[in-house]
Amino acid sequence: MSRPFPYTYISCPCADTPVPDPARKRRSRESSQKSPQKPPPERANIDEKDSTKEEYQGEDEDEEQTFDPRSPRSNFSLYPPEQLLYCEECHQIKCPRCITEEIVSWYCPSCLFETPSSMVRSDGNRCGRNCFNCPICTAPLSVSSVDTTGNAKGPWVLSCGYCLWTSLDIGIKFDKYTNVRSQLQKMTDSTPPPAFDRSRQASRTFGDLKHPLSSFASVDEQSNAREREEASAPQEDPAAPPMGADARFAALKNFYRTQISETSNSPSDHLSSEFGFSSPGALNRLMSLYTSSARLSGLYGGSKKPKSKPPVMREALTASEGLQLAQETSEAETISRLHSPECGWDGVASIEQRATQSPDARFTSDLLPLPVLLRTKRAKRCKSCKHILVKPESKPQSTRFRIRLIALSYIPLPTLRPLALSSSSALPAASPTPDLNALPPLRPIHVLLTLKNHMFDPVRITLATPPVTPGDVATKFEIGANSDVWDEALQGTSTPLSSESRSAALRGVPEAGKVWDKGRNWTTVVLEVVPSTLPGSSAEGGKGDSSGTGTEAAAEAAEAADEHVVAVAKSRQDLDVLEIPVFVHMDWDAEAQLDQNVGKGSKAEEKVTRELAYWMVLGVGRIQPSL
Amino acid sequence: MPPSKAAKGEYIETDTGNKISRRSQIHGTQHIVLGGKTVIQAEAVIRGDLSLSRPATTSNDANNPSTPTQAQNPNTPSVAVNVGRYTYISKSAILRPPSKVMGGMHVFTQLRIGEHCFVGEGAIVEAGSVGSHVHIGKGAVIGSLVIIKDYAWVLDDAVVPAGMVVPSWCVVGGRPARIVGEVGEGYGVEGAEGGMMREMYRVVGRP
Repeated sequence: MSRPFPYTYISCPCADTPVPDPARKRRSRESSQKSPQKPPPERANIDEKDSTKEEYQGEDEDEEQTFDPRSPRSNFSLYPPEQLLYCEECHQIKCPRCITEEIVSWYCPSCLFETPSSMVRSDGNRCGRNCFNCPICTAPLSVSSVDTTGNAKGPWVLSCGYCLWTSLDIGIKFDKYTNVRSQLQKMTDSTPPPAFDRSRQASRTFGDLKHPLSSFASVDEQSNAREREEASAPQEDPAAPPMGADARFAALKNFYRTQISETSNSPSDHLSSEFGFSSPGALNRLMSLYTSSARLSGLYGGSKKPKSKPPVMREALTASEGLQLAQETSEAETISRLHSPECGWDGVASIEQRATQSPDARFTSDLLPLPVLLRTKRAKRCKSCKHILVKPESKPQSTRFRIRLIALSYIPLPTLRPLALSSSSALPAASPTPDLNALPPLRPIHVLLTLKNHMFDPVRITLATPPVTPGDVATKFEIGANSDVWDEALQGTSTPLSSESRSAALRGVPEAGKVWDKGRNWTTVVLEVVPSTLPGSSAEGGKGDSSGTGTEAAAEAAEAADEHVVAVAKSRQDLDVLEIPVFVHMDWDAEAQLDQNVGKGSKAEEKVTRELAYWMVLGVGRIQPSL
Repeated sequence: MPPSKAAKGEYIETDTGNKISRRSQIHGTQHIVLGGKTVIQAEAVIRGDLSLSRPATTSNDANNPSTPTQAQNPNTPSVAVNVGRYTYISKSAILRPPSKVMGGMHVFTQLRIGEHCFVGEGAIVEAGSVGSHVHIGKGAVIGSLVIIKDYAWVLDDAVVPAGMVVPSWCVVGGRPARIVGEVGEGYGVEGAEGGMMREMYRVVGRP
């Protein structure tokens, strides 16, 4: 896990409900009323609150229910808090796996222009303007003038500011500094692959701009042109340049299209239509072929002679149709070129470089500048209820959202920081802060866990940790971290509330499991952690918690200070990472959803108690191998 | 990321709340605008002196640091480095205005950094503009005239090549940097990843 210590991750409950279809979810929700299942998502039930609470505890006592951050599966459910969304319909945390995405707009990450969806396909998902990536190093290319005297005159080249590659290296220059992509396309489509004949290609470059083959405006035109050319020039003329890959593809496509139209005999035949083979018509045709000829004729002894053999499609036969024969000498040429001193290691294109290029490219000199791939802005929907959770504005430059239901607005934001014992105030980084990347084993450290409520309703929080880190569970907890909406809304940055509990009095003497400090909408609790020794087993205790409005918390808090021993599975990667699973249960009184009319008018009886429970993992640090 | 223990009185706090380490090296202060509540840690270097198109910048500084720049070059922006509020410049980071060759001359333009940005330890920033809530990782190098939009994240040790544009919400990394992912929608929310600058500012320079 790549974040620097300390970090907090939240586990999305979806990992335990593999198939996120609504029906199943409903079922599991019902069943969870009776049988101890996973931390049930969240329910809005008024009267069953107590019973469900027992249920939670019951679950917690079940060994298998505790969250093990070391389990291989847990990687798939842990997310940093800011990546999580929250569905107001399902009342559940939604991770990137529980959502579906739909594309709002395409844009080029380099010029930040939006590409209309109609052009995305024709442009091959790449920017149609002047944005290119270096074929060697992928850095963005800039259009610059060959002329270095400062007069902005052509010819223009693409140059890489990172590896100093320029398009002159492959003999490409541009007349204009606009529309570079179409210029490049014209050059590359009709010229031979640069590998074979560098000098000729360079000299041909500009002449090719008017080559009849370079016009793709109409396929018919093109084929006619090709036929004319075919008629005039002998097709096997070895001097005729082989077509570029794109031209060949277009020629083949064109060839097969004519083949289809020629071989299809019925007017109702849809194969030749613009929808091509994948259209429903094509499927019908295939099905009727099978059912009518094969099946029926087989059943009835072939008595019905098929009316006529369907005409046979042939394959491309000439170069103008897109056929390219491998030259007998080409492999030998390639090999000799590999051997030649001017090629060398650097002259051979790497696999990464070739992956995005034409299949013929073998050498770095064959590589062409790559138009920048487009990126998308995407709306996100809940997979189970289809409600939109995130909808960004479509303009590429805008960072605003029309809808953004992030989990941070609903669940308390956890932050973790080590406590420096010598200092009186809560500094994250005062002097004797332990180095979290090398925690000495068996020495207790204190960390502060702050939960900050972003909701407009006070929230009661219960925290619990397994007594042995991966192991069975002792729930200890209390309540805390509530904020009043109105306070928050009205007094922007107000001073912390004086809390009725004795939390604030504790400063300076950290006591595990007690509230360390609290403010208007946040509460900090102290966790005492004893890292274990590494070799075989590690021990630590995490416990701690927060206070709240409730006073019932106090009693339970007292017992929260035990330490725990952890058995750690050996031979695991990141064995030395100290992560504490914490179960968070929160409940709050929300306004009933249906009446949205006036917030002020709502009375207490319109309130609904909501609950939410999830696991979170606190990444405290890395344990030193030895003292 | 947490600041190291500061010597007593290490930070100078200005009227607008900037906390500037006494051990930082800030050149050409008349060309530098700090938005307030900016943190500049020890050994950070800010090259406000590279502001003019004339190579004679240093002499300007020596002559008279107060006014002459605008009088000489009314067209060139007199601000070389503009840093927004709550931006945090870590130890040993270098901020340098970007430069380009224009008309055969090497000219410097402005480096603008938005609000709530984090510039990691030892990073070198020569960008043309850096948006708000941008995280620039430790040891990253931001090439000349790079544009980093809001809410972008540059991973540690990335080398963002000159002229690159990093769109919003994107994570870039590698040498040369490429877009490798996106940050979550909650990025930049106060207190979450990308929104912790206030807290970091608060604790700077505390005993």
